[in-house]
Amino acid sequence: MIAGVAGGLADTLGVRDGYVRAAFVTLLTVWGLGGVLYLLLWIATFDKVEDREAQAVDTGRAVGLGIAFVSVLFLMGALDMWPNGVLVLTAGALSFGTAAITDPSSPGPFAALLDPSAQRVSKVRLILGVLLLVGGIVMFATVVGQVFEFGIVFLAVFLTGLGIFVAFGPWVRRLLTDLSAERSERIRQEERAEVAAHLHDSVLQTLALIQRSDDPHRMAMLARHQESELRDWLYGTVPLDGVDLMSTALKRAASRVEEDFQIPVDLVTVGDHPVEERTRALLAAATEAMVNAAKHSGADRMSLFFEVEDDSLGVYVTDQGRGFDPGAIPKDRKGISQSIRSRMAKIGGTVDIESEPGEGTEVMLRLKL
Amino acid sequence: MSIKVYLVDDHRLFLSGVKAELAEEFRIVGTAYDVDSAIEEIRGYRPEVVLVDVHMPDGGGIAVVEGVIKTNPDVKFLALSVSDRAEDVIAMIRAGARGYVTKTIDPDDLSTAIHRVHAGDAVFSPRLAGFVLDAFAGAIPSDDDPELDQLTTREKDVLRLIARGFAYKQVARKLNISIKTVETHVSSVLRKLQLSNRHELARWASKRRIV
Repeated sequence: MIAGVAGGLADTLGVRDGYVRAAFVTLLTVWGLGGVLYLLLWIATFDKVEDREAQAVDTGRAVGLGIAFVSVLFLMGALDMWPNGVLVLTAGALSFGTAAITDPSSPGPFAALLDPSAQRVSKVRLILGVLLLVGGIVMFATVVGQVFEFGIVFLAVFLTGLGIFVAFGPWVRRLLTDLSAERSERIRQEERAEVAAHLHDSVLQTLALIQRSDDPHRMAMLARHQESELRDWLYGTVPLDGVDLMSTALKRAASRVEEDFQIPVDLVTVGDHPVEERTRALLAAATEAMVNAAKHSGADRMSLFFEVEDDSLGVYVTDQGRGFDPGAIPKDRKGISQSIRSRMAKIGGTVDIESEPGEGTEVMLRLKL
Repeated sequence: MSIKVYLVDDHRLFLSGVKAELAEEFRIVGTAYDVDSAIEEIRGYRPEVVLVDVHMPDGGGIAVVEGVIKTNPDVKFLALSVSDRAEDVIAMIRAGARGYVTKTIDPDDLSTAIHRVHAGDAVFSPRLAGFVLDAFAGAIPSDDDPELDQLTTREKDVLRLIARGFAYKQVARKLNISIKTVETHVSSVLRKLQLSNRHELARWASKRRIV
């Protein structure tokens, strides 16, 4: 963790790095021997390339090394080389207990005990780890309680809590990470399902329709309709707060005309204005003008332009179709242009129609605000 | 001698379609599917007009325009895109493209647009005209160059007619001016769009999504 010495040593010896760290911590209490050893090993391995193959963890060897370590430790104790026996034992019990409980090959404390299929060795390891930890805590509580005349019960409770935290903390954390990973995976899947459902209902259906159609014009219209629908879905042009705007309302009206009459409508808007009573009539008049152009102009597309000027709104419906002489309006067009005029008159707006035979038609609707 | 055209689009199907449409009238000197090879080949092949898609990985059409225009300022770019987002369109023009048309444009109009860009004029689709009107609407001129920050009445008239779907020829007739004058007005608007340092322009474009 600091210089990788413990990890490297563990790889060389073929034991888990947790136990090697525990050994260093224990030796630290013997006149700081752990720290000195650590530094020496660090310097010795300073320049060496650290990609030695890790030895496989071998339980038998690990147990052997453990016994050897404990023997050496007690030998030192017998030779009176310990500064404080209780300190060494406490540190050893706590650090090795922690290492045993957090051993990454364990399936977690509960699983190791309750799952009958769990390996016997991991059960043994867990029980030993808990015993060491409890022993260490009791020793520590006794010593520290005596020294500071602490409420011993209080201290024991606190330390037991700490022990439980150390013992089960890593396992709980692992559980929580698993849960949140699972949760984000589920959200991702739900999103993907939603996208798939939408594409299925819209794009795939349209593609199927296009394949079955042998009319190029209809194919183009289907593609165009799908394009505008997909665009809306991708970029979300639906206004917030439920306020309907002229730009979106005109777009809706234009798509209706496109669908009903199979003629593309090129919409351009400059500025925007909320839809209210008067502008609703303007919308209706514009829709009639579009329907008119779709039915009679013979053009293969039309333009719809909406503009907010300083104090007025303008809507222009333009086609490049056959046009007509406004002075001699044919009977079938009279009714419609009359109804556009009366709608606009009611809201105090004006209508201008410009057309010439062979030159297309433009209907201009203006409304003073 | 037909105009040398180069095509850049990461959508291969669309690219081959456009290539087939244009092959009769223009000399297609090359095509590219990605930004890096486009920049390299355009520098080598020296096409006169480049049709470039806006949305591509690694910086898109803007990266192509910016990458080429530094070393070869005489190459003219026409943006051809499925995107109608104002921020994309305005960004392409400001990077140096001389025009922008949508991919739904019909082949005859596309060839007219290429000729126009080649001649040094600007090409505005109705939608781009609408964006520009919107962007410059209610503009308060900045101190450094007020002329660049506002459109003249005549320029606005021209843009409005383009937005209403009229071709340059019809615009000229409606305003009783020559086509050349219409082209001059549009080029002047393009220059303002490219040079105006009105920060509102960028802000406006990013605020406005699509129609």
